[in-house]
Formats: sequence, structure tokens, C-alpha cells
Amino acid sequence: MTTGSVDLLVVDDGAALRGYDCRDVVRVEEVAGEPGGYLVRLGRLGSPREVACREVLGSVALSAREIRPVPEVLRERITGEKPWAVGLTERGMYLLY
Amino acid sequence: MVNTIFEVIGMVSPGGISPLDEAREELLREASIEAEAFGREKAQEESGPARSLLVFSVGAEWYAVDLVHVRKVLRPARIARVSGAAPEVLGLMNCQGEVLCVLDLRRILGTGKEKLSTAEMEGKFIVVIQHGGKEAGFLVDAVRDVAELPASSVHPVLDSVDPSRARLFEGTVACCGQFAGLLSPSACLNP
Repeated sequence: MTTGSVDLLVVDDGAALRGYDCRDVVRVEEVAGEPGGYLVRLGRLGSPREVACREVLGSVALSAREIRPVPEVLRERITGEKPWAVGLTERGMYLLY
Repeated sequence: MVNTIFEVIGMVSPGGISPLDEAREELLREASIEAEAFGREKAQEESGPARSLLVFSVGAEWYAVDLVHVRKVLRPARIARVSGAAPEVLGLMNCQGEVLCVLDLRRILGTGKEKLSTAEMEGKFIVVIQHGGKEAGFLVDAVRDVAELPASSVHPVLDSVDPSRARLFEGTVACCGQFAGLLSPSACLNP
């Protein structure tokens, strides 16, 4: 991790690409009996939680200029965990949680 | 052949209309043009300033929104889905380096329930609306016109509109031979 950037673990939750701060990841587990199912355990930095996802795509480093705020219109229309930012790169768009 | 006295003194044209009548007709024509222009000005003064509206269609229905709130009109590009979002949220789009939330206007208006695929979005338009510090893109089928109408031509919302949807409209306008629902940007942007 360098100043002004963040390393993300990128996962596909089946609908969207999510990015989690690598420093917060405790471990990634493959869910037994469910091909393509993974459980990402988080909480090294924040409160413990786990996220189920379809696929773990790897890690990506985002610089500060590739990070955008979540549009308010979207923030108001999300139930459950809300992303804190959106990563915008040439490769794609990630919701950062 | 005997000429009439009027013809002799040159007061009757060969067509049978006297120059005096011609002058009077000319004056009347001018007066009528003046009156029409004055009437238009007066009507405009009475009805307030004109409103410029962007007119578009979603399915068979036509809608309009005040151009003051329209930031741009785009073609859909790659839209990233968002899990956990409300059904009207189609996703996020990279709009010249900004993240734009794209909403399905059919869902907001209650005229469609099925989720659109990427292929179904092709050929449509995204109207980017900004109001009260909020901004979103609304997917519409076609952009029809930019109409300039006097404020007085905005009529109340039609009685036939479902009361639950009525809050989404400022009124009804007639343009291009169609009735269009004038959308309230504030109501459309706020859930």
C-alpha cells in the first residue's frame, strides 16, 4: 500500500464486482460442495464480517484518482451494506466495501 | 365602349377594385398582422415566460422534462450492476470519468417490471437530470423533440393517472400532437 492508493481484493458477487481492502481480509475460504462459491472473512481492521461471493478475481491497486464517491441517488436506493466508494478504472468499475 | 366616371378619373383599377379599396385592404392586412403580433406578446406576458422542454417516450407514452434540469443526453455504455440496489437501479455507468447512477424510468413510472438486459438497452437513450444537488441518468426509449411552450400550457395532471404515480408529475402538456406527462425532476430523483 502506497500513499494515496488502496489494494483491493476483487470478488464477483454474481451481480457486481466488489472490492475489499486487502488489509481487512482475514482469509478466503472455498465453500464445500458449492463450486464457484467462496466466503471472504473480513475484520482484520474493522468489525468481523463475512461475505459470500461467486468468484474471487484477484487483487487490484487503485490510486486516489481512480476512486469516486457513491452517487447519492444510488446510496439512497441500496438496502443492506452500502459501498463507501466506487473504483473507476479502464478495466471496469468496482464497488468498494 | 363607354368608360364610367371612376374609370375616367383613374379611381378604378382594371380588375374593378379602386386604389382606395386596395389601400384600405393593405392597411387592414397590416393591422391584422400587428394585432396578431400584439396578441402573441400579450398572451406571452399573461402566461409567463416560455418553458423549454425535452420530450421523450417510454413505451407508448410520452413524457417531458424542463430542459433547465437536463444536463445531457447519452447513449448507454457499459453499465455495472449493483447488488442490493432497488429494482429501478440499472447500475452505474462511466460518464466521462464521473460515476453516473442509471435508473429505469419504466420502473419508476410503474409501466414495466422486468429487468432490462444489456442488449435491450441498445438503441435507447439516457437523459441525465440534475436537481437539488442530485443527478441520475434515466433510461428512455426515444428522444422526440425539444418544445418551447408558454408556462400557461402546462395543464394539471390527468385524472386517469394513478394517484400513486401522480406525485411524479408537474402536469400535462400537449406537444407534437401528443399529450406528454411533465415529470417532476425532484420526485423522480427521490425514492
